[in-house]
This record gives sequence, C-alpha cells and structure tokens, in this order.
Amino acid sequence: MLGLTWIRGAVTHRPGRLFATATGVAIAVALLASIGAFLAGSKATMTHRAVQTVSVDWQVEAQPGADPSTVLSAVTSRAQVALQVELAQTTGLQATTAGSTQSTGPGVVVGLPDTYRQEFPGVIRDLAGARSGVLIAQQTAANLHVAPGDTISVGRAGLPPVDVRVDGVVDLPQADSFFQKVGAPVGAQPQAPPDNVILLPANLWHATFDLLAASRPDQVHSQVHARLSHALPADPSAAYTQVSRSARNIEVKLAGTGLVGDNLGATLSAARGDALYAQVLFLFLGVPGAVLAGLLTATVAASGADRRRREQALLRTRGATTSTLVRLALLEAAVVAGIGAVAGLGVAAMVGRLSFGTASFGATTTTAIVWAGGAAIVGLVISAVALALPAWRDARSLTVVGARRVVGRARAPRWMRSGADFALLAGSALVFWLTSRNGYQLVLAPEGTPAISVSYWALAGPALLWAGAGLLAWRVAYLLLSVRRAVPRTLARPFSGRLASTVGATMGRQRRLLAGALALVALTTAFATSTAVFNQTYKAQSEVDARLTNGADVTVTEAPGSSVTAAAGTRLATVPGVKSVEPLQHRYAYVGADLQDLYGVRTSTIVAATKLQDAYFQGGTARGLISRLGRQPDGILVSAETVKDFQLRPGDTLRLRLQDGRTKQLTEVPFHYLGVATEFPTAPRDSFMLANAGYVARTTGSSAIGAFLVDTGGNSPPAVAAKIRAQVGTSATVTDITTSRKVVGSSLTAVDLSGLTRVELAFAVALAAAATGLVLALGFAERRRTFAIATALGAKRRQLGGFVWSEAAFVTAGGLVAGAFTGWALAEMLVKVLTGVFDPPPAALSVPWVYLAIVAAVSVSAVIVAAVATIRRAQHAPITALRDL
Amino acid sequence: MSAEPLVRCDQLARTYGSGRSAVVALHGATCEIWAGDRLAIMGPSGSGKSTLLHLIAGLDTPTAGSITWPALGQRASLRPGPVALVLQGPSLLPPLDVTENVALPLVLGGIDINQANERAHRALDRLGLITLASKLPEELSGGQAQRVAIARALAQEPRLLLADEPTGQLDHTIAADVIDVLLEAAGHTGAALVVSTHDPAVGDRLARCWTVADGRLSLDQAPDAPHQEEPCSA
Repeated sequence: MLGLTWIRGAVTHRPGRLFATATGVAIAVALLASIGAFLAGSKATMTHRAVQTVSVDWQVEAQPGADPSTVLSAVTSRAQVALQVELAQTTGLQATTAGSTQSTGPGVVVGLPDTYRQEFPGVIRDLAGARSGVLIAQQTAANLHVAPGDTISVGRAGLPPVDVRVDGVVDLPQADSFFQKVGAPVGAQPQAPPDNVILLPANLWHATFDLLAASRPDQVHSQVHARLSHALPADPSAAYTQVSRSARNIEVKLAGTGLVGDNLGATLSAARGDALYAQVLFLFLGVPGAVLAGLLTATVAASGADRRRREQALLRTRGATTSTLVRLALLEAAVVAGIGAVAGLGVAAMVGRLSFGTASFGATTTTAIVWAGGAAIVGLVISAVALALPAWRDARSLTVVGARRVVGRARAPRWMRSGADFALLAGSALVFWLTSRNGYQLVLAPEGTPAISVSYWALAGPALLWAGAGLLAWRVAYLLLSVRRAVPRTLARPFSGRLASTVGATMGRQRRLLAGALALVALTTAFATSTAVFNQTYKAQSEVDARLTNGADVTVTEAPGSSVTAAAGTRLATVPGVKSVEPLQHRYAYVGADLQDLYGVRTSTIVAATKLQDAYFQGGTARGLISRLGRQPDGILVSAETVKDFQLRPGDTLRLRLQDGRTKQLTEVPFHYLGVATEFPTAPRDSFMLANAGYVARTTGSSAIGAFLVDTGGNSPPAVAAKIRAQVGTSATVTDITTSRKVVGSSLTAVDLSGLTRVELAFAVALAAAATGLVLALGFAERRRTFAIATALGAKRRQLGGFVWSEAAFVTAGGLVAGAFTGWALAEMLVKVLTGVFDPPPAALSVPWVYLAIVAAVSVSAVIVAAVATIRRAQHAPITALRDL
Repeated sequence: MSAEPLVRCDQLARTYGSGRSAVVALHGATCEIWAGDRLAIMGPSGSGKSTLLHLIAGLDTPTAGSITWPALGQRASLRPGPVALVLQGPSLLPPLDVTENVALPLVLGGIDINQANERAHRALDRLGLITLASKLPEELSGGQAQRVAIARALAQEPRLLLADEPTGQLDHTIAADVIDVLLEAAGHTGAALVVSTHDPAVGDRLARCWTVADGRLSLDQAPDAPHQEEPCSA
C-alpha cells in the first residue's frame, strides 16, 4: 500500500525526474538491443554471403584403389547434387599458331560431366568462344597463343599425345580451391593453382585418359563435387558446426575410401571469425554507449539526491525502517526499469526494422530472447544502481546533519587520492603494448578446428584508456577549480565580470560536481568521436577494398590475347558519365620459375586515377614510389616475397621473361628493382609487379592494354557500366565497384555496417545532448532555491547568467576538448587493435568533420537551452521556488 | 523623518492561478510603512503574510491594486539597495562561505569585492558572528544561519528591513535571540523593520502589529498614525 502511494506520489509530483531516469535506462536498453538486432542481421547475412561465395561445397576425393562410384553414391545420399569429376596430369601442352610453336610445362586436364556447369555455375567463367566442349584456361591460352578453333596437343605420360580442338577460353575464379590437395593441411597446399589447365567433356576425357588410368593410375584421380542444402543456421558458427560435422560423418562412412575437401566449411569458418569480429565491434561500440547511458541515469538520479534524502528523513520521522526505505527505492527502480525497458525495446525494434531490416534481437528465437532479456536486465541493474543503491547507502549511514550537506569541505575523491586514473592509463598502455606484440590478432580461428576464440584481453586497452582518460579529465578539472580563487575566477570572468570572484568561489566549492559533469561530457564526446572516426575509417577502407578488387568505379577488362591499345580508351571516354579513363597494361612475366602478373602503368596519371593508398607500398608513399618509377623507365616495383626470394636490393637488375608481341616468344627484359608494392587495383596480393607502360611496350613490341580503369566522377557506376557494356559488347568484361562491393570476400569489411553506424552515431548524439543539456538542466533545477535566493537578494538576469554560463561553459568546453583528445587517441588505438577488421589496414584515420561538428553543435545547443531556461525560470518564479523548496 | 512613507499599498491583491483553481492569497490590503516602524505582521500559516511581504519587497507583483515606494524609489532599484530581505528557512547560498554570503548583495549592487568583504566583516562583527566568517552554511546551526542572514541584510544598510518568518524553524530561546539581533540591526541602520510571524512571542517584541487572516489585512491602527508604541498583544 505504502509502495503504491510512493509510486503515485513520484509520478504526480516529480514526473520530470522519473521520466529523465527512465529515459537513461531506455537509451541503454535500446542501444544494447539495437546492436543485438545488428548482430542478428549481420550474422545471418554472413552465413548467406559465405555460402554464396562457394562454388563447390565439397570436393570428395576417391583414394587410390577406391571405387569412385562408391564414393559418389555415399556423397549423393548427403548432398543435393553430386557429380563425378576426373583429373589427369598432362606432361605438357603444345600448340602451333601463326607459324610458331609454343609449349608449356605439366598441367592438369579436367573431365567434367555435361551437367556440371549447370549445377556448379560459379566454377567456370566464359571469356571467349563456346560455353561447352574443350575449354582452355585463360593463362594457358595466353601461354600457348591459342584461341577458339586452334588445336593443341595434350601430352600423356608414357603414351602418345592427343590433339584436341579448343572451343572456348575460360577463367577459373576459384582455381585455388578447385585444384586443392584434398585432405592436406593448409601449409601443405600448393602455393598456386596449376598454370596449365584444360577442361574436357567427361566422355572425351575418358576416351583420352582411361588408358593412362590403367597404365599410370598415379597420374589420374577422381573427385566427387557436391552441392549441399543451404538451409543452414543463420549464425555462421552454428552453420560451420553443422557442415563440418556432416563432412566428418561422410568421411567415417567412406571408411578411408574418400577424403572430404570441405570448401563450405572452410568459408563458414572464416565467416564465424567475422561473426566474432562483429561481436567485438559490439563490445567496442555498444558497451561504452550502455555504460554512458548508465552513468547518465545515475547522474540524473543523483541530481535529485537532496530531495530524496529529505523525503527519506521525513519517512524516517514517521517510523519507516531502513528496509522500508530500501524496498521503496527498489520499487521505484523497478518501475523506472520497466518503463525504460519497454520504451527501449520498442525503440530498438523500430531501429532494427528501419536500419537492419529486422525487428528481432537475435539470429534465432533463443538469442532474440537472450538479447531482449539481457538488455532489459541491464536496464534493471542500471536503475537499481542509480536509484536503490544510493537510497540504501544513505538510509544506512547518513545522519540528519549529513543529509543537509550539499557542498562539503574539499576533499578529493578516494580514486583521485589513490591515483586510479594514472593506474588505468598505465594499464591501458601496458595491455596495448602486450597485445600489439602478436600483431593485434584479436580473433583466433585456427583453420579446420571447431574452436574459435577472441582475445578479449586486447579489448582492455581501449577500455582502460577510455575510463582512465575520463577520470584524468575529472582530476584536471578538479585541480583547476581547486587552485585558490585565481583559476576559477579567471575562468568565470568572461561570463560574470565583477561577479567573477563570487562565481569563481561557487565553482571552486562545487568542483566535485562540476568536474564530474565535465568528465561525463568528456566520456560522451570521446565515445562519439572514436565511434565516428572508427566508422568513417572503416567505411573508407571498405571503399578501398572494393576499389582494390574492382580497380576503379568501372573496369573494362580486355579478353586475353586481344591487342587493344590505349587509343580505345579515347572511345570509352566518350561514353556518357565517364570522367576519365586510365589504361593499364597486363602481362604475365616469369621471375625465375614463377609466373607473375606484370602491370604497365602511366606514372603521370595512375596515382590519381586509382586513388592509390600509401598502405599499398612499403618503403615510401604511393606518390613517392610511383614518381621514382616515372623517373627511371626500366624501374620495377615487386612484392616483398619476390624481394625475399631473390635477395633484391634497390638498384639490382631483375631479368624477367616476357612474351614478345611480334615473335610471340618469351624474351628476356632487364628491369631495375626500385621498391615494394603489396597491393594494386585488380592485382592479386603479393605476387605482382609494377613497371612503366612505355618501357614494357617498347621492350615487348606490344602496347596492348589489359584493362581500362574508368572514373565515373560520382555518376552511378552500374549505370555507366551498362552503357560501356552496350559499346564494347562481348569483346571485354565490364565490372563496376557497386557490384564488387557486394561480393567482396567474406571479410567483415564486406558486412554493411552503415545501419549500425547510423544507430551508433544517432545514439552518440543523443547521449551528448543528454550529458550536456539534461545533466546541466537537472543540476541547475536542483539548485533552483540558490538561484531564487540570489534573485531575492537582487541578482539581475545578467548576474544570474554569470553563474549559469560560467559553469555551463567550463563543463561543456572542457568536456568537449578533453573528449575530442580522448576520442582521437581511442580511435587510433581502436583501429590498431581491430587491424584484422580492415583489409587493407588504413594509412591514416578518416575524420567525419561534419558529424563531429553536429555533435558539438547539438551539445552546445542543449547547454544553451538548459542555461536560458534556468535563468528565465529563476527570474520569473523566485517566489514559487522559495515556497516549493 | 521623511514626509513620505517608505511603502504605500492601496487595495493590494494577489491571486495565484486562474479560473476555478485560482487561489486568492491577498486582497484589499491598504497600508503604509514609515521609516522607523517596528512592525509585526501576524497570522496563521497560509494566511497571506508572506505574500504581502514579498509584494512589499518588490519580489512579486500584485494582480490588483497598487503598491509604491515613495521614499525608496522604483521597484527595480529596491534590491539590492534600500530594501533587504531575510527569508524564511535556510537562505544562505551553500557554495559561498559566510563572508561571501554576506557580501553577495553588495557585490550584486556593484560594490567592489574588497569593499564588500570589508562591510560584510563589519556586519558580522557587529552581530558577534566574525568567528563564523569562513564557515560554510552547512557548518552552521539553524540559529547561526539565520543570524548570518540578518548580518547580510545589515551589511546592505537598508532603509527597510523585511523578515519573513525568521524564527519559523527555531526554538524559542534562539528565536528570541534572532529577534534581538534583528532589532539591533534595524536600530543600528535606522531601518524600518517588518517581521511576518505566526508566533505571538515574536509579535510582542515589536511596536506595532497587523494581522492577516484569509488574505485580509487588519491594521492595528490607522495608517496615518504610525508612531504609537503598542505591542501586538496589547
């Protein structure tokens, strides 16, 4: 009964404070549940994306002596589709075209059933000629100078070669997994797929290689390629477990006659790593927000502490015991938590639907319940800590005299005396240093093992920095206000003129309150700044990733063997929506026995045209190294691996074997090693070289262009790509960055964080407004009597403003400055700790100035509104304040 | 003595709120306060005493009737200035020490901080409170706090000293002491003293007595005969 009366009284007489406290709880609940919705959405997307990137789910290899048909029937029972694929080693290929004969080393000849391309459409990509019949891989075609219609001779160990007529040229986008050594551990896998590959129809393959299978069974092997049901759990971890269990099960069933190459499992394994990264992102981005919301709630509740103490004292005089007081406080906390949780979950469901396309808080029903329930429990804990704990503490320990105290004689808080801020900062530096030693490997996902772990220890670095910097801001503010009169007076003078000494004295004596408020603003600003900078950097790197994959807004890749020159770029430049076109030569060059991609670039334009990043190079900036390349015509940039393998030093001569455009023979071309390139648009990572296009053209007698990189200058890449496709027809492949962005790997960079970013940034703005405006307004409201007394003593509006503006400016400006510095340091640390999220790692932070300006503007506006309202209220209703309080 | 009263009220009324929820706190109050007056405004809680005092202090505006301060000036210049007010309950600013609290109205009135502090010390010294000069309000007892509030009024050297229930939260001994201090302060500055109270013992200490009941003011004598020395209980 007393409880009901108490709650009714709270709702009737102090609805504002009740609402403000519930709002704090609601923000925390909504933030946590929104991130739950994001995780649910992103995890489901990750499984879906991972599955989409796999062309062949399983490659089950029949072991020597085993009957392939037994393996096929075993796999068929588990898979949606299972087809037998044959592979044979060839001793070499040979072709005679235009009067010259080209030969290659050993290669692989694959036999595919008729329905293979229909069932596994992602394995083969057509480049030229027919879709069926004898298909030759692009690189092999280039090596042999063959085109559809030409004949090649296929060598067989111990048997005479067989001639086949090429019907089409194809690309094998997933050659690495297609030609994997099934069952071999990662380290024992071939470094590169075979250079020479021919695909034959199954019947032709059998006609060609059955004899070889009989005489040299070691030269031939058989695989079953399978597609599984993709009705997998949304959570990639669960999907991985299901698929890998199934793979182990089939291996047991095959009893040693077949080994499973679990491509789907491997991809899901990477995806579960990404899922854990998403979880880490949650910890980095969500938990501080929830902590801030909790601190805000506690601050709001604390700003009404005096009134609460008076109410408690009144209840005690009427006979209430400590347990009664605590029960009442708990009841109030439960009501606040209930209102906050319902509102927060409602907001989160709305945010989830609008931003992530789901109103659920988890990937499965159980996780949804856990997220929603967990968020609500956090709300209850925040409410209990903010409301019930102080009430319990006061009820137990406070005397009547103590209850009257509102300022207290200066004594630094216990944490300050014990140097907790310095300890936290030192701890942060130590953890950062320790975790940086392993290269910031936050998520540990050993290949092939079901166990996956996150190095949560590394998260302690930024967490300790955030808390330590917040407390340090508190200490600095406290010390500034502690300096006897001089500093507070100086701080107050611009706003209070002749009253500066008095205002300075009030600020000095309220230094605990003001320093705490400043620290809260600093923590909120740091949260907003670091989140925004991290998100912006992440976004920028996603763009870089997509650009690396696609090369440019639109990339026009010429068919192998074509002799399109840079002049064709002029024609592309006329397509509506095209801003500029950059030609890029592409050749294959032998470095010793390694075949690598060689790109010939125009050094004067390539940096701007492809937005080259410094992170793509080692030992210099992108601009610096490319301009050095421009100054030395025979200069070359190579991969770090090549430098290591060939013990290169700057200036060393590197002799490459390149195909001469006139003779079609390999010819030796000398280059001089200049530096290291690790990434380049369209290039494979770590196995390519960059040289001057003019030098390559002169030494090989061919200025053929491999690809044109098209800058659309802000026009829609897919639209421009469509127009270019209409112009070039089937002579070249046209890809655009928007489409690439959607299919870029399974890395977390591919996860669309824009929804989470929007939510995070909106919450950060709300928290910033609350930390400044709401906290100041409530603090001022609690001191209404003080302002009313000042008015009764004759304080004019301007003089009251002196008190209010001095405090508001100190708290806001100090908090924003401290927060900006902390946010910047945090963002630097976050990006380093989360290096694994970025691909490639950023060279520098990207700063969203507009957003930060909005945060500052919102904070300052909230303070102005709070201050003006306080001054107006104190001036207009001093009598009411004097009567009420 | 001035030929004009310090305060003149004519059919003064104050209503809070409007419509059916309107509360008439004071109506039809006509009175004058003259220099040297020692006046108690008596009445039970909620009768309208404080409302009348706030109107006299210029802290509130009437909803009907008129109030002027013929010998004191315009409302805007009353505080800080010729009118000083001692409020009901704790009225010291918590973050200021005793000296700063006493000096505050002077600083608000534009007096240099050093000069204001000097005057504050003199006022505290006069009332025997100088030992409390550097204390914070939370370190004072109720009686001490109220005496400091009186010192704050005294430091302003006002011509009209208003005290709203200055002893409302004090026991009788301390209340008597506070009234002594008030009378001494008024005597020292030559200010008229008006005290609102519901305590007859306090009223007895003052020369004249008005009563307020249900918002209606009754004067002990005609406003044009201000100098009769007669206690409230007489």
